[in-house]
Amino acid sequence: MAATPIPLEVRHIKKRFGDTEVLKGLSLQAQKGDVITLIGASGSGKSTFLRCMNLLEQPDEGDLFVHGEEIRFKQTRRGREPADWKQVVQMRAKLSMVFQSFNLWAHMTLLENIIEAPIHVLGKPKKEAIEHARALLERVGLTARADAYPAQMSGGQQQRGAIARALAMDPEVMLFDEPTSALDPELVGDVLKVMHGLAEEGRTMVVVTHEMSFARDVSSQVIYLHEGMVEEAGPPEELIGNPQSPRLQQFLAPKY
Amino acid sequence: MESLLTWLETQLAENSIFTLQTLSHYGAGFTTTVQLVFLSLVIGLVAAVPLAIGRGSRHVWIKWPIFAYTYVFRGTPLLIQLYLIYYGVVFVDGIQESWLWFILEDPFVPALIAFTLNTAAYTTEIFRGAIKSTSKGEIEAARAYGMSPGLTMRRIILPSAFRRALPAYGNEVIFMLHASAIASVVTIMDLTGAARFVYARYYAPFEAFLFVAAIYLCLTFAILYFFRHLEKKLLAHLQTQNG
Amino acid sequence: MLDLHGYGPRLLEGAGITVQLALLSLLLAIVLGLVTAVAKMSRSWIAHRTATLYTTVIRGVPDLVLMMLLFFGGQIGVNMFTDWLYEQFDIDIFININEFVAGVVTIGLIFGAYMGETFRGAFMAVDHGQIEAGKAYGMSDSLVFRRIRFPQMMRHALPGLSNNWMVLLKTTALVSVIGLSDMVRVAAEASKATREPFLFMMVVAVIYLLIASVSEWIFARLQKRYSIGYGEAD
Repeated sequence: MAATPIPLEVRHIKKRFGDTEVLKGLSLQAQKGDVITLIGASGSGKSTFLRCMNLLEQPDEGDLFVHGEEIRFKQTRRGREPADWKQVVQMRAKLSMVFQSFNLWAHMTLLENIIEAPIHVLGKPKKEAIEHARALLERVGLTARADAYPAQMSGGQQQRGAIARALAMDPEVMLFDEPTSALDPELVGDVLKVMHGLAEEGRTMVVVTHEMSFARDVSSQVIYLHEGMVEEAGPPEELIGNPQSPRLQQFLAPKY
Repeated sequence: MESLLTWLETQLAENSIFTLQTLSHYGAGFTTTVQLVFLSLVIGLVAAVPLAIGRGSRHVWIKWPIFAYTYVFRGTPLLIQLYLIYYGVVFVDGIQESWLWFILEDPFVPALIAFTLNTAAYTTEIFRGAIKSTSKGEIEAARAYGMSPGLTMRRIILPSAFRRALPAYGNEVIFMLHASAIASVVTIMDLTGAARFVYARYYAPFEAFLFVAAIYLCLTFAILYFFRHLEKKLLAHLQTQNG
Repeated sequence: MLDLHGYGPRLLEGAGITVQLALLSLLLAIVLGLVTAVAKMSRSWIAHRTATLYTTVIRGVPDLVLMMLLFFGGQIGVNMFTDWLYEQFDIDIFININEFVAGVVTIGLIFGAYMGETFRGAFMAVDHGQIEAGKAYGMSDSLVFRRIRFPQMMRHALPGLSNNWMVLLKTTALVSVIGLSDMVRVAAEASKATREPFLFMMVVAVIYLLIASVSEWIFARLQKRYSIGYGEAD
């Protein structure tokens, strides 16, 4: 059986900010169709870990493989940097990120946001990009808002729009950085529903979240981080149903 | 190092432009520039305070004329204002025979008038902006303690407005220093006038204008330094708040 | 209609020169300002220092002195350069620095320094998340600059740009001193000849105010256009 390349794999990622080491050698492997959820208290390093995966943060140590291809690094005076930024740019096009604060481009309409990278990064013809974008908008329930600017939309609409923007890249892996944390509670449900659907159709996803219900119901693997290290990892039913470490037990305990 | 000094010495000895005579021209020009700028700034500043208060008045007959004045003087080139006053005075019928001519004959006075009117207009708007941005709470507090509007203006609004206006006013001072170079256009022997004289005499544009540019640069830095120092002292209460 | 002792047409011509001069200087200033802003934000030590030196010196010296230096000294400098070209490489060219060129170059140089500060501040004001989103979608640095940073920067830069333009417009009056027949020079000549300075200076003042209000209107529309998608313009 010909081995299909692993969509995303990172090994022994270390990262320090000044004197504090925030990631102490983290690894992760996302097979096709995996939904990996990263949970942990704020400051545990889960967002930084995610941002290292598409090199928005530069890890000080560790290896990165996207679709089986290793990202090359070199040492410079400023520290460790990618050896070939072109490779990074190509790699990022395969890993679409959804941000906590949406980061839809404010000067473009929703539709323009969605077709921007497919046209200018992937080189798709405009007509095709627009068709694809309209289909995606329908899917996230925003057909009517295609020509709205981000500032004219609610947070929940913006985030669903941002997910459509990510999908437009036909990404190998989707990275979600706390996609519901900036939303009003009543808007969280719509976004989670869209993400649920994505998981069901077999998208490979790495999700940083505080939504335990999502971690429990959707993910194939949950990783609990504490101070830059993996405290516990495993399938959700084990990890959330029967947490072993006292820290995770405390983390999962209902808060009043 | 020593060879450099001797080289400099011979250069200076051989140069025929920066003689004692031309240097004294520059010296006199320096005095004129400083006098002109300083006087117009001081008079303009004094005039700007009541104008700025009047600009915010509720009475149309006070508010609008001041607005028209600042609008015109900020909206047109200073050179036109200078020409208007300089030529305007010269061509008034009979003025050359009157006693007034004794004062106005010297272009210094029309230039001073033009510069003063100009800087007063800018300073008025700077103060007005600062007065307008006084926090409502501070004014209400003053009222609550029984201060009259006049007393509130004097004790509460103006002192804090002056401080907030300081950075913008520092820019205005530098702007006036630079703008004063046009005094040379109406035959005043200010710094730029001296440079033009040296240029015309020796046909040495680089020496004449680079030298004077360096003097202006030093003056600018001195003003910047002074205002930064003043800001540090007077705006300390804002700094500690922001950490 | 507006005869003005026969000076009407010449005054109008002068106004045309003023507008041309101002627009060309603005163009040069915007280009220089963008280069300066990018240089100041660059990691290269030399680019950063050069840009800082440029903005510091330019903003520390009166416009008129710079203009005279360039106009009177510029021709000598250019002549020395072309002489050298002729001696070294047998290239024979002649470049004439006239009042108009000297005016455009000086005003462009001066306001390039101010624009540099304006653009730098505007670039810094662009939300970092907007840029990160571009990077995360595989955009190269130059694509991020073209498609995201530049258009978003313009919204923040417009108020400063409009301010600089108003000051630039008034600065064009200085070219009359080095002999260019802009409307200020025509008015000064007319004032002396007719002994009616009040009339002519007022006419010129009104024209300046007119140009200023037209530009204000244009900038307000531009601001609206670049504020698209930001709700109310701030």
